[in-house]
Amino acid sequence: MHNRNNILVIEDQKSLATDVVKYLGDNNYKCTHVASIKNAKYSLKNDNYNTVLLDLGLPDGDGLGLIKLIKEKDPSCGVIIISAKDALDKKVEGLELGADDYLTKPFFLPELNARIKSLIRRLNFEGNNEINAGVLKVIPEQMRVYVDKADIELTNTEFNLLLYFVSNKNRVLSKTNLAEYMSSKYFDYGFSNDVIYGHIKNLKRKLEKAGSPEYIKNVYGVGYKFISE
Amino acid sequence: MKLTTKTGLSFISLSAIFFLFGSVFMYFSVRVILADDLSARLFQMQKDFIENTKSANDINTLSNKNIFIQESQNNNESSLSDTVLIEKGNYVLYRKINFFHIYKNQNYRIEILQSQAQTDLLVWRIVILNVALAMSFFLIIFFLNQISVRRGLRIFYKTVSKLENYNISKPELISFENSEIDELNKLTEIFKKMSSKISADFNEQKEYTENVSHEIQTPLAIITAKADELLQSENLNKNEMEQLETIMNTTSRLARINQALILLTKIDNKFYAEKTSCTVLKILNEKIEFYTQLIKDKGIEVEIDVDDKFEISMNSYLADTLFLNLIKNAIMHNISNGKIEIHFDGQSLHIRNSGPELDIKGNIFKRFVRSSNKDSLGIGLSIVKRICDLYLINITYNYIDQHNFILNFKK
Repeated sequence: MHNRNNILVIEDQKSLATDVVKYLGDNNYKCTHVASIKNAKYSLKNDNYNTVLLDLGLPDGDGLGLIKLIKEKDPSCGVIIISAKDALDKKVEGLELGADDYLTKPFFLPELNARIKSLIRRLNFEGNNEINAGVLKVIPEQMRVYVDKADIELTNTEFNLLLYFVSNKNRVLSKTNLAEYMSSKYFDYGFSNDVIYGHIKNLKRKLEKAGSPEYIKNVYGVGYKFISE
Repeated sequence: MKLTTKTGLSFISLSAIFFLFGSVFMYFSVRVILADDLSARLFQMQKDFIENTKSANDINTLSNKNIFIQESQNNNESSLSDTVLIEKGNYVLYRKINFFHIYKNQNYRIEILQSQAQTDLLVWRIVILNVALAMSFFLIIFFLNQISVRRGLRIFYKTVSKLENYNISKPELISFENSEIDELNKLTEIFKKMSSKISADFNEQKEYTENVSHEIQTPLAIITAKADELLQSENLNKNEMEQLETIMNTTSRLARINQALILLTKIDNKFYAEKTSCTVLKILNEKIEFYTQLIKDKGIEVEIDVDDKFEISMNSYLADTLFLNLIKNAIMHNISNGKIEIHFDGQSLHIRNSGPELDIKGNIFKRFVRSSNKDSLGIGLSIVKRICDLYLINITYNYIDQHNFILNFKK
């Protein structure tokens, strides 16, 4: 079994790649960055990765061809396409070729983190896996949340927001970030910051009513931070 | 007017003008020739007359209806002239020679007349015959020419009809035939070059819009990542954080506007020309499915009454985009525990939602027209409108207790 947190970042934009690598490194992932298909092939041959972040527009070609290669080598390796090309056919083609997720630029790093986590969960642990955060126990597959074993009734939007928070602990998540994440989660729905504010207010109310400490902290009205320690 | 008719007609009219002048010229020249001939005959008759006088006893016996003999004192040079006599009430043109002859020491003035009526008639006959011959000759040439030109241009007409059916997104469907005529081959060659240039340009433009998307979205991703990273720094005050949030919010708006504009450009560039038959009910159910969780959260009741046989011929991606936007809109602007009704009456599709009236000034389908809700881009409905325009679907909006979008599919 290879290292669960070994990630290959294939992205030719150096500045973006640096941010991604730094961010993922801070989140306890081991990252390797390559900027071309040639180097990617080399890295894939010589090392084992459990997640590949793949940019499609690379200087030496279209990254789509790499998907097959990755999946042939290790079917449990997750592939997330990161592309600015919103072209639907590319998206469909990528997913058909075996990619597991598709993230359109621009994206927020916490969203990338949430997707990687969700993918690792999906590919490596079938079924029962849970995320513990303080007194909270979140079971993504069942969409259930427990506060000290007491089941809490959350709406779908509230649950997804909570899942995003527990995946990105101790980080300021701006309202725009949350709105973008939720919009991409629901087919480009276009959540406004006000709507997000409403959902979070309800989420906090429900959690605190069930006896949870105030984990979701408001940061100057700009965003929120989940602190469970 | 067809090219062959046009050239044929100008050929005919030019030759008609030419022959009009030609006939006039011929008339006069034939007349001059015949007049010369007549004069020569008159001189010959004068010679014959003088010869005859040598053997004649009396000069007057030589006189007849064309020869007048008169005693004269003068003895001038002979002269030719025209004269008109009245015969049976008709004017008849005569040519006459006037000469003087000494016969038995007596000076005579002799006039020999020759009618020009015969030559006149001859001239007319020649002219008429000539014109008739020429005309029939030209008509035959004209029709033969028409036929041969049409045969020769058959390839040209084929090429034209092919160009008429030219579809920019499928340039490979066009193939040109070769002709035995150099000019047509040249034209075909140019068409071929043009069509490959057009399709190359088209592909380049397609690529360009995709690249623009790519080139703009990547810097936006960098801005977002940097601002988000900055937001994580300790010791930021409220004002600084708010400014960072504004940067992120504006960047994400910019990204969405860019995506929407690229979509509109692609629609304009006939990027989505390919059509398939789309079952409306299936698409609607699929889009409702996308948003099930949101619909459930908001407690919205959805009622769909659409015939499952109702199909439209559209590009599948555009059909998805159209209904996705309309349904998204109906959920977004709806109230909690509201209702969405989708109903098809055989001609129009009605999409109603029970949201409150919005203060929208101007045409709701116009780009960047939006409600006072500043988070909305005001571009979703303009995409809807553009797609409807593309397929000649008449879309209208009204508000009578609820929002009502009506898509009329009757063409």
